[in-house]
Amino acid sequence: MGLRSFFDRIEPQFLKGGRFEKYFPVYEMVESFIYTPKTVTTVAPHARSYIDMKRIMTYVVIATIPCILFGMYNTGLQTNMAIAEYGASGWRAAIIEALGIGFNPANPLANILHGLLYFLPIYIVTLIAGGIFEVIFAVVRGHEVNEGFLVTSMLYTLIMPASAPLWQVALGIIFGVVIGKEVFGGTGKNFLNPALVGRAFLYFAYPAQMSGDRIWTPVDGFSGATALSVSASDGVASLPEHGISWMDAFVGTIQGSFGETSTIACLLGLAFLLATKIANWRLIVGCLGGMIAFSSLLNVIGSDSNPMFAMPWYWHLVVGGYAFGLVFMVTEPVSASHTNVGRYIYGALIGFMVVMIRVINPAFPEGMMLAILFGNVFAPLIDYFVVQANIKRRAKRNV
Amino acid sequence: MAQTRKSQLVDPLIDNNPITLQVLGICSALAVTSSLKVALVMAIAVTLVTAFSSMFISMLRNQIPSSIRIIVQMVIIASLVIVVDQLLKAYAYEISKTLSVFVGLIITNCIVMGRAEAFAMSNPPVASFVDGIGNGAGYGLILMVVGVIRELFGSGSLFGITILPTVNNGGWYVPNGLLLLPPSAFFVIGLLIWAIRTWKPGQVEEREYKIQSVEAH
Amino acid sequence: MSDTNANKGFIRRFLDMPPDSTVKTVTVAVVLCLVASMVVSAAAVSLRPVQDLNRLRDKQRNVLEVAGVYEPGMDIAEAFSDFEPHVLELATGEFTDQYEIDTFEELATSGDPALVRALDEDPAGLGGTQQIFQMVYILRDDAGAIDKVVLPIEGYGLWSTLYGFIALEENGNDIYGLQFYQQGETPGLGAEVDNPRWKALWNGKKLRDEDGALQITVAKQPPAAGQDYYIDALAGATLTSRGVDNLVRFWMGEQGYGPFLERLKAGEI
Repeated sequence: MGLRSFFDRIEPQFLKGGRFEKYFPVYEMVESFIYTPKTVTTVAPHARSYIDMKRIMTYVVIATIPCILFGMYNTGLQTNMAIAEYGASGWRAAIIEALGIGFNPANPLANILHGLLYFLPIYIVTLIAGGIFEVIFAVVRGHEVNEGFLVTSMLYTLIMPASAPLWQVALGIIFGVVIGKEVFGGTGKNFLNPALVGRAFLYFAYPAQMSGDRIWTPVDGFSGATALSVSASDGVASLPEHGISWMDAFVGTIQGSFGETSTIACLLGLAFLLATKIANWRLIVGCLGGMIAFSSLLNVIGSDSNPMFAMPWYWHLVVGGYAFGLVFMVTEPVSASHTNVGRYIYGALIGFMVVMIRVINPAFPEGMMLAILFGNVFAPLIDYFVVQANIKRRAKRNV
Repeated sequence: MAQTRKSQLVDPLIDNNPITLQVLGICSALAVTSSLKVALVMAIAVTLVTAFSSMFISMLRNQIPSSIRIIVQMVIIASLVIVVDQLLKAYAYEISKTLSVFVGLIITNCIVMGRAEAFAMSNPPVASFVDGIGNGAGYGLILMVVGVIRELFGSGSLFGITILPTVNNGGWYVPNGLLLLPPSAFFVIGLLIWAIRTWKPGQVEEREYKIQSVEAH
Repeated sequence: MSDTNANKGFIRRFLDMPPDSTVKTVTVAVVLCLVASMVVSAAAVSLRPVQDLNRLRDKQRNVLEVAGVYEPGMDIAEAFSDFEPHVLELATGEFTDQYEIDTFEELATSGDPALVRALDEDPAGLGGTQQIFQMVYILRDDAGAIDKVVLPIEGYGLWSTLYGFIALEENGNDIYGLQFYQQGETPGLGAEVDNPRWKALWNGKKLRDEDGALQITVAKQPPAAGQDYYIDALAGATLTSRGVDNLVRFWMGEQGYGPFLERLKAGEI
């Protein structure tokens, strides 16, 4: 193969003593992206497994495909519907008109194409801006550029609103990569989820562009509330009046960030992750259990002034970022708890916190992002206590 | 003392900075740095309190019974802080309104107590006074740097004068709301410490643990 | 140090005592406390008049600002002398001379239970009670006719209680301006209640329609009553906007200045 021999020919330049020694991470990134890494374990004992980091990360990206496709479709759908009322403008409209596809919301292809035109710029900016900082750190620190960034950038793109300004997208991913990951030593040492750190940064820094009713569908003048903000002001019972049925929310044809509206797409991804054992089922059980238990408790308690108390668990499941966070963020192995008992507790803590923030905190209608970050912070502590409890238990046994 | 007066003044700015090296006085650095004017007043107040409390404590250092020395230091510092607070309320009312409770909290600022205990108790009054000025200036320097970043990018202005006209006022700059919230000072100070320790690797602390590695055989 | 202590004065002998002796410890503590307390109280007492004046000027400046007569650098005391302060009884809408103007503020903040009443409904989030009397300010023109009235208002936003003034024209229905002098809302969102561009929206709006129904609304969409009664909500600050809406409607309604505004409209003041 010509490509293989090309890599073999230039490789010495990047090895120790070569001219571009410093830039080995860049070489390694490109080479291992195309070929399987050739480094093998050299020290006994040998663990045999078909799975390595690259494969884990690739599987996660594959698992997001349903969300990506549906996200594009839904973004296009919402935009095309809004265009019918408010009119089209901008370069995207020019491209679509030039292609002669039109803005018919009943045409799925037109929707996907329109969504793609919103998805791609954000994704490309994320890859470039975050990638530059990944490479800088890899070169300075002398570690390898990791496939983990592919996952981070994909998840990050999927939790952006379609109207996000590109410079903010770039700023957010840089913050996420640097503060969320690299300052702690890079992939595998980050205790926070970098994609969420970036999103949280934008949420607090530019709330006007990251929350509210006008941002989810990128059409000037259009205002569409998310299911959560409708429920927060008028109660969950009023959702059908606003044109949102449970099935809409489950399928995902509602207002929201790119990839998070569709619960069914997330569940497809979850099935794949569970089948390949990338996702740990204990985390999922814990997170569902915590959410169902606490929201049911609040249903029973009830409140006259706060309609969110009445939201049943099956609504919590399908609105906002819960399903997406559950499938792709809670299960993220590095920032979650590492002990089996800890995983239940960690999941339950997030499930509890998300309901807590959604229902009881008046300022934040959505709580999944903050709940997961909160869980991330507690994961090491949970592990510590689980391990200590184990040590005590075994010490007792041996007395 | 081996230290010259000059090094007493200059060392705490970068080489031995109370915030970035000793990580003292963080709480007030978070609270008062969203506007530069307030940060400046706070820096001056802390500098004056540190300098004068160090001087008074140093004058009394041979008379202070060791059993009650912390309380004695506290009384002196607290009195000075109250006087500063009263002066601000009388002659800088607007600023004292923004600083509100944080002036009173200078008492708890670890830098003041730290210099009293670590330096003034064993050095003559003039040296202690200079030491207080130096450490207050080191604190003030970091406060100003954090204040410039937070006010410029958080509200588009410096000392209340518009530099980057913001969108809400008809300009082009979209202010970064995170920088107006106190936690952002954590990030800014953290990044500053990172930058300073990259510049001066001598400030990096030893690891408390050892990473073990085993050679293949 | 062979000579005896007898040769030295009292102070000298005291200073030479070992610092940790009981006598010295107690003496140092007592003397230090005395000196410190004297310094502190001297500072507090001697600066008190200046501080009180500052507080007063600050409040007066806010009244001037909301009535649109404030210019930087002006003599606040002189400009403020155009305003007539009155203590108003909310329920009747009549002025009372039960209380001295100068000492009313102090009295009102003292928490005297005779001065507050319980609220059955508390949309403005005042904590269930309301002051029975309020200090209001009337600005008259050169001919002695009422030009504007400035009324204090307060209420809960998202994180904090907002304190401010509203200035109304002489008919008691047209808003001249609204301003909060104390609030702790989210910087960049709710705290934009201080933004001059947003405050300018209030100028010229009306409280009530021709039928006397309270229509003023802070919302994202104009109400049915029309633009004259509508202030666009702050972008991204739903709950602060709702708080402002509630508190303005509360204070302009029957439980607030409603009776007073009735009398103002009828020309009884």
